[in-house]
Amino acid sequence: MAESTPMPARRFDPWPATIFVMLAVLAVLFLLPTAGVVLSSLKTTHDISMGDLWSLPATLYLGNFREALSNPSVHRYLLNTLLVTLPATTGSITLGVLAGYVFAKLPFRGSNALFLVLVAGMFFPPQAILVPLFRMFNAVGLIDTLWPVIVVHTALGIPICTLLMRNFFATVPNALREAAIMEGASEWQVLTRVVLPLSLPALAVLAVLQFTWIWNDFLWPLIFTKSDDKRTIMIGIVNLKGQYSVAWGVQGALSLVASLPTLAVFLFFQRYFIKGMTMGAVKG
Amino acid sequence: MAELTLDRLRKSFGSQEVIKGLDLTIADGEFVVFVGPSGCGKSTTLRMIAGLEDVTSGAVRLAGQDVTRTRPAGRGIAMVFQSYALFPHLSVADNIGFGLSLQRLPRAEIAARVRAVAETLQLGPLLERFPRELSGGQRQRVAIGRSIIRDPRVFLFDEPLSNLDAALRVQMRLEIARLHRRLRATMIYVTHDQVEAMTLADRIVVFNEGRIEQVGSPMALYERPANRFVAGFIGAPAMNFLAPGCALLAGLAVPAGAREAGIRPEHLALVAPGDGAGGSVELIERLGPETFAHLRLPDLPDTVTLRLPGDSGVEPGTAVALRALPDRVQWFDAAGRALAATRG
Ligand SMILES: Nc1ncnc2c1ncn2[C@@H]1O[C@H](COP(=O)(O)OP(=O)(O)OP(=O)(O)O)[C@@H](O)[C@H]1O
Ligand SMILES: [Mg+2]
Repeated sequence: MAESTPMPARRFDPWPATIFVMLAVLAVLFLLPTAGVVLSSLKTTHDISMGDLWSLPATLYLGNFREALSNPSVHRYLLNTLLVTLPATTGSITLGVLAGYVFAKLPFRGSNALFLVLVAGMFFPPQAILVPLFRMFNAVGLIDTLWPVIVVHTALGIPICTLLMRNFFATVPNALREAAIMEGASEWQVLTRVVLPLSLPALAVLAVLQFTWIWNDFLWPLIFTKSDDKRTIMIGIVNLKGQYSVAWGVQGALSLVASLPTLAVFLFFQRYFIKGMTMGAVKG
Repeated sequence: MAELTLDRLRKSFGSQEVIKGLDLTIADGEFVVFVGPSGCGKSTTLRMIAGLEDVTSGAVRLAGQDVTRTRPAGRGIAMVFQSYALFPHLSVADNIGFGLSLQRLPRAEIAARVRAVAETLQLGPLLERFPRELSGGQRQRVAIGRSIIRDPRVFLFDEPLSNLDAALRVQMRLEIARLHRRLRATMIYVTHDQVEAMTLADRIVVFNEGRIEQVGSPMALYERPANRFVAGFIGAPAMNFLAPGCALLAGLAVPAGAREAGIRPEHLALVAPGDGAGGSVELIERLGPETFAHLRLPDLPDTVTLRLPGDSGVEPGTAVALRALPDRVQWFDAAGRALAATRG
């Protein structure tokens, strides 16, 4: 009898430990490539081809960075990327703000259905529209310019921007809009003077999201541009693999340099993430 | 001169008609209070007057001009919201001056006018603060300040004090009364608070299910309600409704067609046992200056409320006898209409 009654032993809960281990493994998996890039960016090509990838460099070699940053093509790549990313980011966010405001505050018959259709655009595989888009831009003679990249990124950003802004605007009390209208504000003034200043968190999230996504994109510039002086930085990195040899070190260095703008954008906007509706909007 | 007229005003949301034809004229400088049960359309009416809600049919006229299709800002109407609706990202000064800054007035002029308004509302020291740094009463004052700075012809208040505690409500009530006396502007005020309605109003408008039941001065509504609904709605605690045959009404002449009698708690009196209808005290509510006793009478389904002096020693469970003051009983016909006044 005594053996059959289970001992009231203290239970070992395996979940926290399991989750911790899983997260740690994932973190290492995610960080390894970055570590590899950092390590190779600090080695000479000779060292890289000799030793294994993961060894620490014997001396801190900065020649890769020097080479990457002094290359005039790289300047062109960076400039092109900026010329694509800035207008496409602001463009998609602006359109998302306008559409989101209408969906949240000025609903009309069928606006909810339209909203769903628009958001469904997020789940559209870009590969499916790749060929038609290429033909279309080819027909209007815009291939090998930055324009198609800007236009496509702006358009593809509309669903997520609209979704996020609509949902954020929905949390701004209607009474604020009505109070502003009673004071003589036009719809545009309601948006710019009342609703947008209260929506900085959503705008900041979108700015980071869109900037990073467009900056890092490889597909669309690859499709729409041909000549080296129209390429963006992500393609530029690959192009560096040069005529003579695979320049791992220089590529690694340039990869690091190329990720700095997105990091800077994140650091600049993250202060707005927490702010916002903690401002005690309406009631007491 | 800002006389406001509602002419056969109707409003439907989809197929549901919520305002079913309102006719009302509000004189220049008048203080009118809208009361009525929840969902009867007070806010909707206010919002149609403001222009925030489209009118389905009928007209809103302001100073003789049809403003039914005029945009809100063009009507010269200001509105104070229950939630205050202050702009959280703007300072008190910028909140008050918001409308003026939209008109692109010179900064110095805006600042001067904001300061003047802030002085009258005792907001002077708070001008640099943000709404989140203010108490409820201060927020409401800012909301009022924002509404008065443009010298509107008509003020609309939708339950402006309902988020405040009792003491502050009394204080703000007096402030609004003072504001009305000083500005002499037309004001429409929605409230659920009987005291606010009775004390502030020149005239009270009683709403029920999208219609106006009665319009009149507070005392007129209290003493001569047009129907059973108004009689039951105005006054707290509510009027007692009795069947004509009950013991409490014994000996009273029942007018022809009367189906129901109403008598207010203060028009019932305790009498010596045997001199009136007998009953027992079920519940006592002591408010200080007065006491309300809820009595159970054998021939009535509901308890009867009776007002007693504050120092009355009546205890629950006591057997009592009571009588109605005969000339204070009001009679209602089958449709709930009040029958010809029974007192001079
Ligand atoms: N936007 C709307 N869409 C549909 N129905 C509405 C809308 N606004 C109000 N209603 C309906 O209209 C009726 C009147 O509403 P209203 O807000 O005017 O009532 P109220 O008298 O102000 O009530 P309360 O005292 O609770 O504030 C209600 O039945 C409400 O459900
Ligand atoms: Mg209401």
